[in-house]
Amino acid sequence: MIHFGRLTYTYPGSHHPVLAGVTLHIDEGEFVLVAGPSGVGKSTLLRCLNGLVPHFTGGKLSGSVSVAGRDPVAEGPHTLSRVVGFVFQDPESQFVMDRVEDEIAFALENAAIPPTEMRARVEEVLDLLDLVPLRDRALDTLSGGEKQRVAIATALAFRPRILVLDEPTSQLDPQSAEDVLQALVRLNNEVGLTVVLAEHRLERVLPHADRLIHLAPPSVEGGRGEVLDGPPRHVLHRMDLIPPLVALGKELGWEPLPLTVKEGRTFAEEAVSGLRVQVSRSNLRPEALKSETALRVRELSFAYDGVPALRDVTLTVSPGELVALMGRNGSGKTTMLRCIVGLLRPEQGQITLAGEPVVGWETADICRRIGYLSQEPDDLLFADTVAEEMAVTLRNHGLTGSPPIAPDDLLERLGLGGLAVSYPRDLSVGERQRVALGAVTITRPKILLLDEPTRGMDYPAKRELVRMLRKWQAEGTATLLVTHDVELTAQIADRVVVLSQGEIIADGSATDVLATSSFFAPQVARLFPGTGWLTVEDALAGLSALSCGG
Amino acid sequence: MSVRRVISGFIYALSGAIGVLAFIYPFFTPASSAAPLGLAHGQDAPLMTAALVGLSVVALLLELQGQTISAKTVAMLGVLVAITSVLRFIEVAVPMPGGFSPIFAPIILAGYVFGSRFGFLMGVFTLVTSALITGGVGPWLPYQMFTAGWAGLTAGWLSRIMHHVSRFTFNAPVAAYQAPGSQRRLTLDIVFLCLFGFAWGLLYGVIINVYFWPFAMGPSAQTWMPGVGLSETLSRYGVFYVATSLAWDVTRAVGNVALILLLGAPTLRALNRFRRRFYFEVSASA
Amino acid sequence: MLDARVWVLWALTTLLTASSARNPLYAAVLLAVATVVGTVCAADRAQRVPLSPLRFAALAIPLSALFNGLTAHIGDTVILRLPDWLPLLGGPVTLEALAFGAINGLTLTVIFSGFAVFNQVTPVRDLIKLTPRAFHEAGVVLSIALTFIPQTTRSLKRIREAQAVRGHRVRGVRDWLPIFVPLLVSGLERSMALAEAMVARGYGAVADQEQPLCRQGLLALGLSALFGGWLAWLFLPSWRGIGLGAMIAGAGLIAVVVWLAGRGISHTTYRRRRWTARDTLVVLGCGLTLGVTLVPLPLVNRSTLYYSTYPSLTRPAFDPFVGLAMLGLLVPAAVNAEGQADSTRSIQSEAIGGADERLGQETEDG
Repeated sequence: MIHFGRLTYTYPGSHHPVLAGVTLHIDEGEFVLVAGPSGVGKSTLLRCLNGLVPHFTGGKLSGSVSVAGRDPVAEGPHTLSRVVGFVFQDPESQFVMDRVEDEIAFALENAAIPPTEMRARVEEVLDLLDLVPLRDRALDTLSGGEKQRVAIATALAFRPRILVLDEPTSQLDPQSAEDVLQALVRLNNEVGLTVVLAEHRLERVLPHADRLIHLAPPSVEGGRGEVLDGPPRHVLHRMDLIPPLVALGKELGWEPLPLTVKEGRTFAEEAVSGLRVQVSRSNLRPEALKSETALRVRELSFAYDGVPALRDVTLTVSPGELVALMGRNGSGKTTMLRCIVGLLRPEQGQITLAGEPVVGWETADICRRIGYLSQEPDDLLFADTVAEEMAVTLRNHGLTGSPPIAPDDLLERLGLGGLAVSYPRDLSVGERQRVALGAVTITRPKILLLDEPTRGMDYPAKRELVRMLRKWQAEGTATLLVTHDVELTAQIADRVVVLSQGEIIADGSATDVLATSSFFAPQVARLFPGTGWLTVEDALAGLSALSCGG
Repeated sequence: MSVRRVISGFIYALSGAIGVLAFIYPFFTPASSAAPLGLAHGQDAPLMTAALVGLSVVALLLELQGQTISAKTVAMLGVLVAITSVLRFIEVAVPMPGGFSPIFAPIILAGYVFGSRFGFLMGVFTLVTSALITGGVGPWLPYQMFTAGWAGLTAGWLSRIMHHVSRFTFNAPVAAYQAPGSQRRLTLDIVFLCLFGFAWGLLYGVIINVYFWPFAMGPSAQTWMPGVGLSETLSRYGVFYVATSLAWDVTRAVGNVALILLLGAPTLRALNRFRRRFYFEVSASA
Repeated sequence: MLDARVWVLWALTTLLTASSARNPLYAAVLLAVATVVGTVCAADRAQRVPLSPLRFAALAIPLSALFNGLTAHIGDTVILRLPDWLPLLGGPVTLEALAFGAINGLTLTVIFSGFAVFNQVTPVRDLIKLTPRAFHEAGVVLSIALTFIPQTTRSLKRIREAQAVRGHRVRGVRDWLPIFVPLLVSGLERSMALAEAMVARGYGAVADQEQPLCRQGLLALGLSALFGGWLAWLFLPSWRGIGLGAMIAGAGLIAVVVWLAGRGISHTTYRRRRWTARDTLVVLGCGLTLGVTLVPLPLVNRSTLYYSTYPSLTRPAFDPFVGLAMLGLLVPAAVNAEGQADSTRSIQSEAIGGADERLGQETEDG
């Protein structure tokens, strides 16, 4: 039904083709997952399906594309919109109108569909996506997951046969992402819609995919990147960056490769059967200095318009410690960070940085000692070059003559060595985040606050971030990390604090909190309950120790 | 192609002429003017003028809108109008001196970077949106739309002129920004834009007053006494203008200059980078 | 709830009637009518109008009176005499001139309050839906603008906080740069994402297109007729009729081009509002007012509409029929047409609240 024949595409102004000789075939009704690191061409491939490439983006395209018997390159997105529905990554930038129903009707109105049929289709689509209780709501008031469901609904208004989604859940929290994915699975199973989905976080989608397409980056020698295509288990064998469960399965030779914890359980029980399991962690972490605290929050309370967001929260972070702050959406995590940096004034409580109380200080002063990276690092970037961004921060703090760390050194450390004169907004998402990180850490703060740094990131970028955080940790920086990403927490956190409705409900070492929680347990912990293993390394080391030991 | 150009030229000229005439006719109207709607003493002249100016805006809109506007232009216009309207809220919420309005600088800068067509559309739509949001719809709206539209339109023409006058334009490749001496040349852009901003700041006030004056002055039988000539009318208008809005308009003009001077260069650079990255598709603007 | 078009008609009727009725008594009637309609129909008192009609009146009437009194030196009742050597101001300041100015101010106040009511009772999105088909894309631009205003306000707040976190303080105009540029650029980047989403949903054009030559020609012709006709009407007294005809023809041609442009756009409407009896009643009321004001009818003394304070102050005449006809504008209040609470106008108060919050932060921080 969908066929790519030796597709080669080059973006305008670029010298290297982003897709080279891609040949693929997708049948009707399949649920296809497209994976690969950022920048490798997943988005481009998807946009070829409805003609956005090359009609919207320009550039040179050769080879053939055929979608349900039509040629997107010849016909263009206007005609293809009837056959292919497309959903984009950012839930905020897809809507023209302000109410759910009007938004769905907008596309139909432009197509001059008669009013009675319009009504029928709108109702149909609202039912399909479970949006009936939300139909009169203003789009502004919806959550990210609900907005994406509305976006899917608008795409389905034309009754297309194929639904293409470009990282629809990367900006969403886990619960919303789950809702959206469940909706997609339902559409694929019950309506028979062909779904083509590009995703970073494979673990949720793998069990449902019929086919996995992996685009590999071009090799260092200059050879073309490989396109792997086939049933998920086959392709996963040949991929590097994979979910922990699958990685563990590959290492231990589990066949057939388990895609869900349920499938992995039998293998896991076999592996530990008969062995006495000790609760231990193989990763050695530097001993956190308990004597001094870098950041102490005491009995912090804050309310938005009378609605309490933080109730009597007490928390300490020591130098060299990395504390992960987790909790559902709206539990108060971001509020706490904002209170700490002075953007919000708490009603009661005290915040001390290395012993100095800072409540009531100006944000600019507090941020000399704290580096705070918000959820949208793009908000910071306005200068012409990367180097200029750092210079701006130095100027703001009056440190131009004597920077606490040489800007070039910082750039090197952030992996941005060759990019000092690049325009920040031209860089990739990961690079931009690192520029923002550089801009806030140029003052060499002893404390680092990060709000959801891995949202929308692919595995390689995450690995980079982990590396950097570990280096900072080794230097004695105290880090408070707000995240939904359980796997990330398992990898680097020393302590985990869980917030719910503004109160701390758990505060302990990573092993204690993650391994025992049912909601926050990483895949490895779910596979091996009671062992205290959190990461693949933990499990491998633990299993080999056990089998050696006896 | 050239026939089209000629007709386009006509449409611009006529539309502009209607605007200019709306401005200067009170100075020339003879003493006894009958009213179009059969009522005594030409009370409807200002309404008719407003309608005529409105029609000229409609005509220009039709001309510049063409058959279709691309989705990119539509989306960009929408977002830029939103940003400028938010700036207008600041104007309403925070007391600023005089008639300072932060919406003209963005319109002029956008017209400068994206072309006269874009500038006109942005001017018109910004005024309409602000009027809708702030509850300012009224018989003054055609004048506001006309002026803001022409400010954006002429800003686009200015950039074309600058392109020919100095070989540097902001259209040059990025390396030009970093080349020695480029700061100086960008400054040339800014200088002209400042003058432009000043001129339009004043002009806006003058034009809006033109709208207001016939209303305020009442029927012509009283305005022009027997034997009153052009100079007398001019001086009365001059007094009116000074009394009601010169100070206002000067602060607006100076405010425009300040905005463009202080924020203009980086804004131009940012807009231009964006333009090269995304907007390569835009067809030749009017 | 009335159709938005009906409110437009009402506002225009008020405008025309107020301009035609120079008589202070009629003006007072109209002002009372507008106030009543405003009180009854404007649902949300919190909706902002730039200036309340009362404040406008307090400004306009005295200022106008003063200005006219000082510059027009005709009339019988002299209050004081300014030295003659003063340019323009020199001469007698007469009561008649003051009164004339005051009446001008009153007329302006009536027009202003009519439109104030209009602004309060019509939801913004309904007004956007009124755009003729030819300007459909303009309507889309306006819709997008309205949708993005709350987002932009939130973005502004977030950017301000982000810059504060890197040590930025807002002290002068220059300091707005790190806030304005990211706002602008991220807004534009988001607009590209929006454009892509629109194109993917089949929204018309990927590229700009110019209008057909014949339409352009018609437009030029219409404008020429308009301009020429106006010139004639203004400056050539003997050709007044032709001038008027030319203007009407020109306007007609432009309307034809609008219609032609609209035909090229295929578009249906999802929400169709049905015309109710209330709408018809209001239209009839407006028609009554307009008719009596503009059309010479027996029994109606239209000359009372015009009142001059010169040469000396006299009692203004009042024709009860004309006064009654003006009550035709009261129909919306009579049918108790509640204006819809408009969420879009509250966006403004929210945004301004946001601005206040920012200011509050500013004062707190420094």
